[in-house]
Amino acid sequence: MLPECDVVFPETVEQALEALSAEGARLIAGGTDLVPNLTRGVSRARVLVSLARLAGLDGLEARGNALHIGARVTLARLARDPTVSALSRAAAMIASPQIRNTATVGGNLCLDTRCVYVNQSELWRGANGFCIKTAGAVCHVVEGGKSCVAASAADLPPVLVALDATIDVASPSGARTIALEQLYSNNGATPLSLAPDQLITAVSVPLDPHTRAAYRKLRVRQAIDFALLGIAVAITLDGDRCASVRVVAGGLAPAPRRVKLDELRGERVDRAFVERVAERAEHAFRPLDNVATDRAWRRAMVPVLVRDAFDELGLSAS
Amino acid sequence: MRRRLCVLTVNGERHERAIAPAATLLEVLREDLGLTGSKRGCDGGECGACTVLVDGEPVLSCLTLALAVEGRAITTIEGVSTDGELHPVQRAFEEQGAVQCGFCTPGMVLSAKALLARNREPSREEVRLALSGNLCRCTGYGRIVDAVQLAAKRMRT
Amino acid sequence: MSAKVTGAARYTDDIVLPRMACGRILRAPHARARIRAIDVSRALATPGVLAVITGRDLETKYGILPWTEDEHALALEQTSYVGEGVAALAAIDEPSARAGLAAIAVDYEVLPAVLDPEEALAHPEIKVNPSAREGNVSKHVDLSFGDVEGAFANADVVIEEEYRFESNTHAALEPHCAIGDADFDGNLTLYSSTQVPHYLHRALAKVLGLGAERIRVIQPAVGGGFGGKSEPFDLELCAAKLALLARRPVKIRYSREEVFYAHRGRHAMKMRFRTAAARDGKLLAVQSKLLIDGGARSSFGVVTTYYSGQLLAAPYHLPAYAFNATRVFTNKPACGPKRGHGSVQPRFAFECQLDELADCLELDPIELRRRNALGSEVTTINGQAIGSNGFRECLDAVERASGWREKFRKLPFGRGVGVAGSTYISGTAYPIYPNEMPQSAVIVKLDRSGQVVITSGVSDIGQGADAMLARIVAKELGCSLDAIRVHSGDTELCPVDLGAYSSRVTMMAGNAAIEACASLKERLGDIGSDFAGAVQRAEAKFGTLVGVGGYRTKKLGGDYRGGSIGASPAYSFTAHVAEVEVDARTGFVHVTKIWVAHDCGRAINRTAVAGQMEGSAAMGFGEALFESHAFHANGVHRGPNLLDYKLATTLDSPELEALIVECPDPAGPHGAKEAGEGPLHPSIPAIANAIYDAVGVRLRALPFSPERVLAALKGRKS
Repeated sequence: MLPECDVVFPETVEQALEALSAEGARLIAGGTDLVPNLTRGVSRARVLVSLARLAGLDGLEARGNALHIGARVTLARLARDPTVSALSRAAAMIASPQIRNTATVGGNLCLDTRCVYVNQSELWRGANGFCIKTAGAVCHVVEGGKSCVAASAADLPPVLVALDATIDVASPSGARTIALEQLYSNNGATPLSLAPDQLITAVSVPLDPHTRAAYRKLRVRQAIDFALLGIAVAITLDGDRCASVRVVAGGLAPAPRRVKLDELRGERVDRAFVERVAERAEHAFRPLDNVATDRAWRRAMVPVLVRDAFDELGLSAS
Repeated sequence: MRRRLCVLTVNGERHERAIAPAATLLEVLREDLGLTGSKRGCDGGECGACTVLVDGEPVLSCLTLALAVEGRAITTIEGVSTDGELHPVQRAFEEQGAVQCGFCTPGMVLSAKALLARNREPSREEVRLALSGNLCRCTGYGRIVDAVQLAAKRMRT
Repeated sequence: MSAKVTGAARYTDDIVLPRMACGRILRAPHARARIRAIDVSRALATPGVLAVITGRDLETKYGILPWTEDEHALALEQTSYVGEGVAALAAIDEPSARAGLAAIAVDYEVLPAVLDPEEALAHPEIKVNPSAREGNVSKHVDLSFGDVEGAFANADVVIEEEYRFESNTHAALEPHCAIGDADFDGNLTLYSSTQVPHYLHRALAKVLGLGAERIRVIQPAVGGGFGGKSEPFDLELCAAKLALLARRPVKIRYSREEVFYAHRGRHAMKMRFRTAAARDGKLLAVQSKLLIDGGARSSFGVVTTYYSGQLLAAPYHLPAYAFNATRVFTNKPACGPKRGHGSVQPRFAFECQLDELADCLELDPIELRRRNALGSEVTTINGQAIGSNGFRECLDAVERASGWREKFRKLPFGRGVGVAGSTYISGTAYPIYPNEMPQSAVIVKLDRSGQVVITSGVSDIGQGADAMLARIVAKELGCSLDAIRVHSGDTELCPVDLGAYSSRVTMMAGNAAIEACASLKERLGDIGSDFAGAVQRAEAKFGTLVGVGGYRTKKLGGDYRGGSIGASPAYSFTAHVAEVEVDARTGFVHVTKIWVAHDCGRAINRTAVAGQMEGSAAMGFGEALFESHAFHANGVHRGPNLLDYKLATTLDSPELEALIVECPDPAGPHGAKEAGEGPLHPSIPAIANAIYDAVGVRLRALPFSPERVLAALKGRKS
């Protein structure tokens, strides 16, 4: 049972923005992330602004050189769209079929950060002395930590960041387009840089025939589970050479993490190249104990997933 | 908090109830409409026992706000059999021993029904994928997959 | 049966009674604390709150075993684990109940706690369980049979290793739920998702101080038990007490989190095993030392401790055998009987040890098991009388079906097969409280319409107890299954049955049903093709047709203290072969298939037997790979929900093939033995042994997580 709160159903983006400006308003789309968090008191709301009856924001089409995805497009629908296979495959790996039927793309981008010490009941968190993410003063993951390190466990953001996607943000002062990467604050307690009265209306993924991408997800069970680690690889090819390569990890930190790989531009893409990328990624990503698994093992899995991603792209044999 | 009027179409019947604004569909089905076939097995979104169909697609009623699905066609387990006849999926579940304690069964049947509506001849792997959000603690799943395939076969002929 | 596929089956939480109130329990946030004071005045003043109780309102101790009654419905002076109940209330609705709960003020003095059994033994002054007789020791058993030391001295081979079994829990999909309903005269009806209505009935009478004749326990449809609902729980006692106080029905439903705090699941064990053998693979002796983590309460702990040793004396011939087992209290939710009670953990250790022995002797592990298999109609070294025994047939069946000879040590690196065997009881000789009365009774009433009505106290928890009775009676009387109605799980309307535990139901209620039919068959004579006509003729001749049957166990077991624990009227036998793929880069284990051969005596209902075999094997598979009921250092459960506690999904689960082996046992009804618990045991060691075949590492600790497998692989390389 949810704590008592009101629910409003705006029918236009303008109405939604107005409703969001109320004290304690929270946006709810599919609700698959927010409802359990509200039930457990991890999130709080006085008014839920539901997008259930909003017209629009549900387009899914390739236009110009980009795939435009409305924020209300469900994960199930995205999973069926073949335009960007890494994206549809990532969507198909999220949670369960039922959740994919309601959860939205916008919701996945805004998924709250997760931590073994956070996503539990009030009784549990109290027994554990609470933490900075939910009304406490300490961090149980990093001793003496002052900033929340709960992890972004969403599967779409690593792929979209690797593909240099942008988002359209509506706010009372007008619409703007920003790089998706700018959405994330790297503070687990307030992971999004959006103001409370702003909402994402769409995400745009550049379409480039020379770019290929793959996503690999590490999880205990093959369904339902969040990523223990998600690795997205996107590479733009110039013949058999790398024009640019991006590796982005989810499941580690409050924001998707990118590896700096600029010096690999112009290199021939072969097995040695893949190994260098894998090595750089392993060096760059330092998992914490914010997820219920051994962090040394998680780190050891980074190069494995990177290699798998290149395998999936058919780029590691040569 | 003031209650709100909620108008739901469940199994083809129209129901009006005054509900708490943030009531979940599962709460309204079970507590206001007496449709107790949808089960509560976890504290939210983790087990699939509360699965219902909204416009033919399986969703978790425990994560769905009731007011958000006004005007949509909701199917619960109570609406699966028609005119006193079990749906082929239900019959196959019984025959194949796909039911033990029965607590996951309503959600399983609905997920399977939705699958067969869009795929007349699913492979075992496709059945497993479609039911991957429905946990069963009794059977080990093999008989459930058998049952869905048997139902599919019967529905094709 | 159709009720379960149409949503019509009524589980406890589906029942709504007029004026029913919502009950809730307040739980302690400390692993160990003294309760200085509880102030419920603000809760009582909260609008909508009808009644509030604390430990003082239910002071009488109870416990499933009469020798170790150490539980209070709500903590009295000390809390012993995070999640223990300290107060409860009833309110007109859920929001009022929540507000009331938040208004209860508990003043705790936090005390040091012990979470690890070794630590608990080292610190007897940190008393986990105030009722414990000696420090933190729950039970100690030390038994020896034959010349153990001599056997080790003369052995060609000795294998000795340590094994660890992590705790796991039942996680039945239906959370526990109870409804108390008292009438104006103070008679109480309690509806509960229990496996043991009879024991619950007794506990209610005792704790409430109410005459047992004023209490009725009704067990509606139960959404799975697996041993997790086989004791009285706080919610049942609290719902009853609150209903009496509030003078209206009160329902308490556990959240999923509370189910983890109720627990009573598989004990964590640290096990040291030594096995002595001759060069030809013949076992000479087995010796084990087991440290059992019991959690904060006794539960069935005395039985667990005995079972951890007593149930290992078959299916292999052991000329000498000794075990030394100690169950220890720790500040965690109590462990108890989970499917395969007490013996799943040592069976894992021992069957892995046999695989190591076979490897050491360069023998095929199936052949090793065959050479040591006990026959039928023998007595084990610890005095258990084995009747029928289909273990060899089980080994043959899995060997053949799995293509063992083409696979064992022949599959490429990363793929492997493993085998394991086991045995289990079909009921226990001893009832939980000593008495000479029947353990199970059945009444069969024939109506002149041709309808056959069976009433029995059995608890159908999804395992098919009702259908079992119907089939036995249909066969005995020669009527059709459609004519039969089964009424069960009601202590007022049905004759007694002690409950769904120890795999006793088919053995005991089945035999009682046969006895109930015996006199009816005599009176019916030749029924011909018209059953109703035969009933009418018999009724005209003999009067009302009711048959009554009961089942009593003979005195069984060895003549020594504890010799009757683990003694059963009949023993089932099982063998599994598991096939796995191990990803040596990640450590992930994928179990592709488990072949499950099980000697169930006689399959009364083949579909149900195969379902039990597969379900058991799947549950063992989950324990092997995924499940972990573990705690943070402060006693907080690591993940009391179904996202953190991993139940395998359809995509993770292996293909299962049930191979039913029938070796009818003279003690069983129509020859039947159990099928619901035995087939869990071999899953875990068969998978461990298959992992060894695949990648050459021995996993001696559960679960076989990728972290652990990868670490083992790295250890092997270095």
